Amino acid sequence: MITFAAVSLIYPNSTKTVLENLSLTIAEGEFVLVIGPTGSGKSSLLRLINGLVPHHTGGILAGDISVDGISTQSVKPGGLAHLIGIVGQNPINGFVTDTVEEELAFGMESLNVSPDVMRKRVEEILDLLSLAPLRNRSLATLSGGEQQRVAIGSALVMHPKVLVLDEPTSALDPIAAEEVLSILHRLVHDLGLTVVVAEHKLERVIQFADRIVHIDGLGNTRVGTPAQIMSDSDIAPPIVHLARALGLEDVGLTVRDMRRMSEKIREGKYDKKEVPSIASGDLVIDINGVSLSFDNTSVLQNINIKIWAGEVVALMGRNGAGKSSLLKTIVGLHKCSTGSVELLGDNPLTISGKQRRETIGFIPQEPSDLLYGQGVLMECNQADEDNEIDNGETFELLNELVPGISPHTHPRDLSEGQRLALALSVVLSAKPKILILDEPTRGLDYQAKNQLISTLLRYARVLGRTVILATHDVELVAELATRVIFLADGDCVADGKTLDVLLSSPAFAPQVAKVMSPQPWLTVKDVINALEVTR
Amino acid sequence: MTDARHPLTWWIWSITLAIGIARGNNPLLAIAVVGCAYLVVRKFRTDAPWSRSFESGLKLGLWILIIRTTFGVLIGTPIPGTTLFRLPILPVPEWMAGIRIGGAVTQERLFSTAREGVILAAIIICFAAASSLTSPHRLLRVLPFSIYQFGLALVIATSLVPQFVTSISRIRDAQYLRGQKLSFKKILIPLLEESLVRSLDLAAAMDSRGYGFTRVRSRYRAISWNPGDTIICLISAFSLLSPTLILISVATPFILIKRRVVVPAS
Repeated sequence: MITFAAVSLIYPNSTKTVLENLSLTIAEGEFVLVIGPTGSGKSSLLRLINGLVPHHTGGILAGDISVDGISTQSVKPGGLAHLIGIVGQNPINGFVTDTVEEELAFGMESLNVSPDVMRKRVEEILDLLSLAPLRNRSLATLSGGEQQRVAIGSALVMHPKVLVLDEPTSALDPIAAEEVLSILHRLVHDLGLTVVVAEHKLERVIQFADRIVHIDGLGNTRVGTPAQIMSDSDIAPPIVHLARALGLEDVGLTVRDMRRMSEKIREGKYDKKEVPSIASGDLVIDINGVSLSFDNTSVLQNINIKIWAGEVVALMGRNGAGKSSLLKTIVGLHKCSTGSVELLGDNPLTISGKQRRETIGFIPQEPSDLLYGQGVLMECNQADEDNEIDNGETFELLNELVPGISPHTHPRDLSEGQRLALALSVVLSAKPKILILDEPTRGLDYQAKNQLISTLLRYARVLGRTVILATHDVELVAELATRVIFLADGDCVADGKTLDVLLSSPAFAPQVAKVMSPQPWLTVKDVINALEVTR
Repeated sequence: MTDARHPLTWWIWSITLAIGIARGNNPLLAIAVVGCAYLVVRKFRTDAPWSRSFESGLKLGLWILIIRTTFGVLIGTPIPGTTLFRLPILPVPEWMAGIRIGGAVTQERLFSTAREGVILAAIIICFAAASSLTSPHRLLRVLPFSIYQFGLALVIATSLVPQFVTSISRIRDAQYLRGQKLSFKKILIPLLEESLVRSLDLAAAMDSRGYGFTRVRSRYRAISWNPGDTIICLISAFSLLSPTLILISVATPFILIKRRVVVPAS
């Protein structure tokens, strides 16, 4: 269906080859997963398939890509619209119309499909993706998962033979992600659709993949079955790390395989390790009976939370459960309708300037919102100046977090992980007592995520500061958090130690916990520790 | 949404109002028309992002009025009449002879500039009313293909405005939380970057969905032209005969249109 024949790609004004001599044939009905670090060229590879690269972005392409016998060199992306559906990283950026139904029809209107055919196909897709209740909704009011489904629907409605998706689950909670992926799985099996997906969160998607394309960022690519690639890939889901750590011969890619292979280990008797409660430091945040409502819709209801120094608190819950609203209330962007928030005894609404920087640091969902300098160094110097610290201290901090960033790079040209590190070092340079992060791992690869984890752990454990993060990333929570607060429809439905909360809900349990249930282990490290203690 | 007016109807309606205001050249008439248009907008607009354009138009109009009046009073040739107060006269270089900055402000001068300002503002508000009432996307779909490309560029530009507003408030919040004093530059730079990325994404998405690939586009759901549309347009056209007739035309939507079907946004 898709043939890459000796494809090399390089962007102008860049010395780095994105792809070098890639030859690959993807058969009809295959589910291909593209993995690699951020900035390694995954998106470029996907966009090569329908000719957006190089027709739309520029770049020098050698070799040839053909889809269903049509070479992308001879046809513009529009000419392949009936053949290839493409869903970008942020679906909302690609929406052209107002409502779900109109959005579904847009592509067919462009190709001059007759109205009665359009009506029929739209109905079909509404049913296939369970979008019927949303048909008249305005696109701006949809949740992340719904937007993703509409984007997939508007690609599928053209009856394409190939569907290309760039990080389809990065903004979704585990349940919505599962929903989107199982739809893709069904389409591959029922309709013989060819699917190409790029994704960082392998734990979500690897079980569906027939083959993996691994890009290393230096132009080299490897293609193979998931088992082949996972046997020695540095990019691997926790379940593969577990298999490696346990010294198993095969790597299991699904929870079911791994459970079969690890039966003996699971059945052993282990000493129970007590997790020390950290709630012994000072009271840092006191949320007392907070309710919040916008335009008569209640967003938060009577939330009572006390957070102590040294805690790492994860806020979890569905898209739209009120996580961001709670964070914004804590930092003082929303005034609560009833109740009060106190940060170290101060009202968050009244602190500003230097006092604010030293009390509470906030990393928004888009870390670049904080940045306005024309270079990394400029940004760091600004932070030094603001916080009245020695010149160069912030840049040193950044170098510790992520070594090797050139001081003259423009923040826009950094990778997602580097940009987060820059925002983080700017915020941390003020040494805030509380650090708040909103969805920090969106678009981060495993390497950047590990860096983030170790930075935050050091910050919380060594300095005894408090970290609060809202996230969908269960694996991150398992590695990092000491306490999990679970929100549903603006209510706090669970609040407890990470272990207790994560194990009590199968959907939000990390992979290792699913494999090792009923043993109370969340991460590979937990398993190894328990085995070593007992041995 | 099915019994909503045809988007062209709203534009014809508002353009004739604007013409009427310009021809009438009467500030009281202009204010009356704006007031009535406000009632129409309040009754018929949806809760879509663009429905707030009327308020933005109103603000823009007020600014124009204020700035125009100030400059009109400060600069220009004086009109003789009752002097209200005197401003010091600013010396100007010789080559600017004929222009005077400052000096006596007469009642006549103030009234004539204020009156021009009101009329200009009212015309702008009329256009804001139309854009409040029609979805730019729906308008685009009824445009003929020859101006479709041009229209599309406009629609993308206008639909970016509400996104701009959300982005600005998000970036402003983030900067405030960084403990920064707000400045234009600190908001503008992240905003421009984000808009650029967004437009590129949109262009790529449209390109890969076959936009502009065929010259003929089919219509998923034709936007129908109802008798009500004809009546509004006829009355609007009739009102061009005499400026005072626009007072009738501005109110026609009330007589004709059934209440819009509200789409539940649950």
